[in-house]
Amino acid sequence: MFPNVTINAMNLCFPQQRPLSSSLIITICLAFSAFLGCQSESKYPNRPITLVCPWAAGGGTDRVSRQMAAHLEQELAVPVNVINATGGKGVTGHNRGMTAAPDGYTVTMITLELNTMHWSGLTNLTYNDCIPLYTVNEDYAALYVRTDAKWNTLQALEKEIRANPGQLKASGTASGGAWHLGIVGWLISSDMNAEDITWISSTGAGPSLQELISGGLDMVCCSLPEARTLLDSGQIRALGLMAPKRAFGFDDVKTFQEQGTAWTLGAWRGVAVPKETPAEVVDILSQAVGRIVEGKTTLTSESQSTTFPQFMEAQKFDPTFRTGDDLKQFLSSTDAKFQALLTSEAMQSVNTDRFSPMIFPNILLGLMGCVLVGITISSLSQRHTSDQLVPTTKQKIPRRGLMNFGIIVGATLTYLLFVETVGFVLLSMAITLVMLCWLGTRLSISLTITIFFVPLVYQIFANVLRVPLPHGWWGW
Amino acid sequence: MTEAITTAISDVLQGQVLLVILLSAIYGIFVGSIPGLTATMAVALMVPLTFFLGDVEAVAAIVTTVTCSIFAGDIPATLVRIPGTPASAAYATDAYALTGKNQHEKALTVCLVFSVIGGLFGTLVLACAAPQLAKIATQFTSYEYFWLYLLGLTCAAIVSDDSRLKGAFALLIGLLLSTVGLGTDYSAPRLTFGLDELITGVNFIPAMIGLFGISEVLRNTLYLPAENALPNNQNEGNSASTPESSSSTTSLSALIRQILPYSWQRRFHLLRSSAIGSLVGMLPGAGADIAAWVSYAVSKRFSKNPEEFGKGSLEGIGDATGANNAALGSAWIPALVFGIPGDSVTAIAIGVLLTKNITPGPNIFDPTDKPEQAALVFSIYVTFILANLILIPLGLLAIRAGSVLVRIPRRILLPLIVIFCIVGSYAMNGSYLDVSVMLVMGLLGFVLESFKIPLGPVVLGIILGGQVEHKFIQCITKSTEAGEFLNSPISIILAIAIAILWCAPTLTSIARRKSNSSG
Repeated sequence: MFPNVTINAMNLCFPQQRPLSSSLIITICLAFSAFLGCQSESKYPNRPITLVCPWAAGGGTDRVSRQMAAHLEQELAVPVNVINATGGKGVTGHNRGMTAAPDGYTVTMITLELNTMHWSGLTNLTYNDCIPLYTVNEDYAALYVRTDAKWNTLQALEKEIRANPGQLKASGTASGGAWHLGIVGWLISSDMNAEDITWISSTGAGPSLQELISGGLDMVCCSLPEARTLLDSGQIRALGLMAPKRAFGFDDVKTFQEQGTAWTLGAWRGVAVPKETPAEVVDILSQAVGRIVEGKTTLTSESQSTTFPQFMEAQKFDPTFRTGDDLKQFLSSTDAKFQALLTSEAMQSVNTDRFSPMIFPNILLGLMGCVLVGITISSLSQRHTSDQLVPTTKQKIPRRGLMNFGIIVGATLTYLLFVETVGFVLLSMAITLVMLCWLGTRLSISLTITIFFVPLVYQIFANVLRVPLPHGWWGW
Repeated sequence: MTEAITTAISDVLQGQVLLVILLSAIYGIFVGSIPGLTATMAVALMVPLTFFLGDVEAVAAIVTTVTCSIFAGDIPATLVRIPGTPASAAYATDAYALTGKNQHEKALTVCLVFSVIGGLFGTLVLACAAPQLAKIATQFTSYEYFWLYLLGLTCAAIVSDDSRLKGAFALLIGLLLSTVGLGTDYSAPRLTFGLDELITGVNFIPAMIGLFGISEVLRNTLYLPAENALPNNQNEGNSASTPESSSSTTSLSALIRQILPYSWQRRFHLLRSSAIGSLVGMLPGAGADIAAWVSYAVSKRFSKNPEEFGKGSLEGIGDATGANNAALGSAWIPALVFGIPGDSVTAIAIGVLLTKNITPGPNIFDPTDKPEQAALVFSIYVTFILANLILIPLGLLAIRAGSVLVRIPRRILLPLIVIFCIVGSYAMNGSYLDVSVMLVMGLLGFVLESFKIPLGPVVLGIILGGQVEHKFIQCITKSTEAGEFLNSPISIILAIAIAILWCAPTLTSIARRKSNSSG
């Protein structure tokens, strides 16, 4: 369909166009090969791999993902690009990763939310919808109070909660998030009620810790690395860690079990591929990840070389890893734990919001109605003087202009519809050429601009910025 | 404190950051000097790239681009009387009149020198006022924040256009778009129309690229043939005069020698206009363009030769151009202290900071709490100073190349911008939905503009909507009765200010109508 459009557009614009010289065509081919290089088809992997990270850039999961990507890139000898498919409390990224083509070119950094979000009704995805290769990190929740708080131990705090249920305020993440579940699970497993601590929804561990220091909260639940700076400066004290054993790098923080409460809650991160990925691809990837987490690969940068476990230790992430049957059992037991917690009656009452999610949109819609009425009234009352509501058509829109408009919108739509099949470079060149010609640039100039511009954009985005632009017929 | 400053300076004075500053400066001048492409569009198109840069580089890129493009907007304003950015509109007539007198290089050099001085003044105000304001801001609870957000949104809606209702309408569209998907406080998605990808909400980057990028392209293409005929005539007239005049004028260094004493002579006026610019820039929602208009008006009011204004007054040009650059720096004050942007560029900047896990707020100035954030704030000051300094040589080159820059045909640029818009909106999340959002927002922006509804408030609404809702829900969850919304003096003052802003123009117009009918 494109050649037709192009030719029509060209004929319309320049009926008396010179034919293309063969030297120009040769130049085009040379420019292509110079910009893009050649790629030969061979066994997996032979083109860039995308690593989907369901959380924002700069966060913990993102840092682990990027380190993993760098190691994988070295192991597999193809570029591994990280995409932050954020939002929806993790649903977006997990969804993207698991519904991708099962060819091994999309790998996902899965997180604890895979165990929780289907129980809270956000999605139908479970850990059974993917092939988990490895978990690469486990960080457990810990409970913090201010250093000047009167509770020195977990028992003292428990006593206070039992004496004044509902009086103490805690935070750490959004309502229903992992750290919230940590508190609720602890309360329930110690025979208290889920509402005995009031949970204040916040946007993350950072703001919550800030609020704790300024006195707005009584305790915060989050992982140890997140609270490290405040722990080091002595402003907060960790009362206990919800883990089976003490954490690496924080030897003085007692576990809940040591203090007589058998409750654990850990966030984990792992590597997975979509469910129907071929076994030989899974093997190649699994072996690569295995070598990485065991510290058999080193990443050399500037002056130092680091292994993956060394990086994790430096970042104070717990580098525990699991695979095979151990991993399967871990995932199913964690899933069962959250099923019990999230479907319990206690949690249901916590989850019911006092105000419906539509309250704010409804207020806005109401206001919008008022404003529209206002605009109509004011335009009616001003009709005899100036008519502002009607588009100012002092300058009559030329038909040509409307067609320009259509071409631009059409070009974008064409891109959306066909880029996945045709590929970025080919399709972008086609639509750039059509737009340039249509708007009245001479064909030879349009061609020159297209040939230099599109590969340049491809180079910048695909190779410098590592955006996985769609691959099409010719592999680019 | 000093530690943070030295970290900031060493952060900025690195090869890569300096390279980013240089490239953004060139890019800013390029986009700013092309009529029809605004400074906001320049920044909007750059955001997908900043996502891949480090924190300091990203901030440096935004600051430099906007500083340079606001000056570069003066170039087409002077040469062909089409302001390159809306901020140059206030004095386009004056500057063009000077071109008619063959003094365009002098006019542009005045623009450059005064812009740089105004810009440095704005940076000084930013560096001094922001930390002081932050000390007050730490006492704010969610009630005060709620009112403050409302005040910021009110200013944006009122200030941006002649009709307050249209501004409000635009704002409500933006706020409504921000509520799509999961809110901060809810675990159930809303308004997603069954699309799983919309659970995340409407991503602000593609929305903004659509609103400022594609809609601008669409508007441009609509009148492309007609406009081609018009500026061509102008250009021909110009190009006939420009080469000969540039050969006849003195060298650039001579020009500078000529302008510097003139600047010294007008130092108090420059101080006044910079102060006006900084004050206007500090108001949430008011930006560089309004600063230029206000300063121009003040300059005319107090000038010894007001009759020259509108016919090529160098005084008016100098004062207004100083003010619009001063506004750029101080627009960051509310953005950094409260997270409420001073203009549409800082609105975008807040979005970028948020994607980098940096939340603007009073704590951002505290070097003991998060040293890297405090250093980042200081690096904003350093970048502003560097951007203004680098503007001097690049600006002089741009003045020389101006007549060429202005004449790059739009029919070539527009298709390339379309490709950038597509790739840019795709790059952030690798999602086709984002490209669709970009297109839909572009069409929405086009329709809104043709009804003369401003686009700035829409973007502001999208960016601030989540925060406003979060604070609102926090407030109504905490409070047992409505009166708690007004339980502190600051809340009451803010609420009264909002009421006055919305009602005052109506009241005055009613009063005027009454006095008219009676008299």
